[in-house]
Amino acid sequence: MEDQKTMKDIHLEERVVSDHAPRITARGVNVHYGENHALKDVDVDILSGTVTAFIGPSGCGKSTFLRCLNRMNDTVANARVTGQILLDGEDIYDKRVDPVQLRAKVGMVFQKPNPFPKSIYDNVAYGPKIHGLTRNKAELDGIVESCLRKAALWNEVKDRLTAPGTGLSGGQQQRLCIARAIATSPEVLLMDEPCSALDPIATAQVEELIDELRASFSVVIVTHSMQQAARVSQKTAFFHLGHLVEYGETGQIFTNPRDPRTESYITGRIG
Amino acid sequence: MEPHIRSAFDKDLEAVQAMVMKMGGLVEHALLNAAEALDKRDEALAESVRAGDRAIDELEDLIHTECARILALRSPTAGDLRTVLTVMRIVGSLERAGDYAKNLAKRSLVLSQMQVVAGATSSIARMARSVVGLLRDALDAFAARDAVLAEDVRNRDAEVDQMYNALFREFLTHMMEDPRNITACMHLHFIAKNIERVGDHATGIAEQVIYLVKGAMPEAERPKVELAAGIPPGRKD
Repeated sequence: MEDQKTMKDIHLEERVVSDHAPRITARGVNVHYGENHALKDVDVDILSGTVTAFIGPSGCGKSTFLRCLNRMNDTVANARVTGQILLDGEDIYDKRVDPVQLRAKVGMVFQKPNPFPKSIYDNVAYGPKIHGLTRNKAELDGIVESCLRKAALWNEVKDRLTAPGTGLSGGQQQRLCIARAIATSPEVLLMDEPCSALDPIATAQVEELIDELRASFSVVIVTHSMQQAARVSQKTAFFHLGHLVEYGETGQIFTNPRDPRTESYITGRIG
Repeated sequence: MEPHIRSAFDKDLEAVQAMVMKMGGLVEHALLNAAEALDKRDEALAESVRAGDRAIDELEDLIHTECARILALRSPTAGDLRTVLTVMRIVGSLERAGDYAKNLAKRSLVLSQMQVVAGATSSIARMARSVVGLLRDALDAFAARDAVLAEDVRNRDAEVDQMYNALFREFLTHMMEDPRNITACMHLHFIAKNIERVGDHATGIAEQVIYLVKGAMPEAERPKVELAAGIPPGRKD
């Protein structure tokens, strides 16, 4: 059988991620915002080389969980996170872990493109500079170029690297933010609704980019667009009322979900 | 299953399923009428079956168009997606079954000009009623999302296979007794084989219903009847 593999078989194998090693392992994660129990006993393995989509209605805990993965919840005054989250086997909530260093390893892209009010070049160069990742200008130039290329933006901006990042179109700004997020060579890229402010073409470009980024990073994307989750991810997690209801292969979730709550949500029966 | 938040989606899905049931009704009638036309040598009835196949084909086109529309506009998922996929496959099977009914009607017109082969046409009419029963139950199982009834249809197809084998032996005997029976018996054999194929389509529909309800095709092999001596193995799917 092995030598009879057709092109089609090979394509089918590309989306199989079940043998990928876990990059992030979360066990018994609970989040409280004051009295509000926002996330309840979440266990999940985020695999390497995989795009994982978090879906669920507003207030279901998906963004809350995403924000646990790079300790963004530390910045929320009354937030309390319990449980264990391991990145490559190391507890990210360990007292010795510097959250700033952690966020260099676990990058984030937000809903609204938020480039720094600086040049395109400086937007990308900022992270490597403050983390001291380069020794000289030539190395920094190299990183800026390669990140802009990975973000599929290089050809559009290579002649105006000194122009302000805020002058780009919305789609370009979002790709600039992705270039900025990958400039510190993160292991995991978190994306919170990265396309909700973009038009369909820019969305398609970002989705294409996400698929390419999967070769180098684990990508976790929170999205309200079920179709986007279906298109870009290999694994999907459905959150509802603070619970992780179902986590599985994306094709299975969208054709044959195991939990009736997942079915109701993805078919448009509960909100 | 509770209704969709977008009620127009429910209406689209219900409409396409109602069309499948309507198409199923037309096919059942066509098969019963064709078998009766054969048995009673009723040429007018046979002609009406031939003419009626057009309505079945048109319904198939309409359902396919509607399914394409739902896929494009609604992007159905999970149970909704399986409903649309199941509808498309059921409609394909029904269209084939309709063609077999039409073919039966055509052959009945030829056979009505020939010498009667004793007992053959009433046996075929009985087999047709059996197969229509399977088809009806398969479609009822679809409408009611009844995997148990679908499983039952799957198991009952063996009875049809047995009837076909018995007819095959009967025709062989007639042909050996009197070579003048050969032409008629060849036609009758094709008819019996085609009705047997309709049984396979009913089984296919039942399997689709199991997929629709459970999300996976049935795994267990269904009961099979050993072929009578000299019968080439037919397509089984």
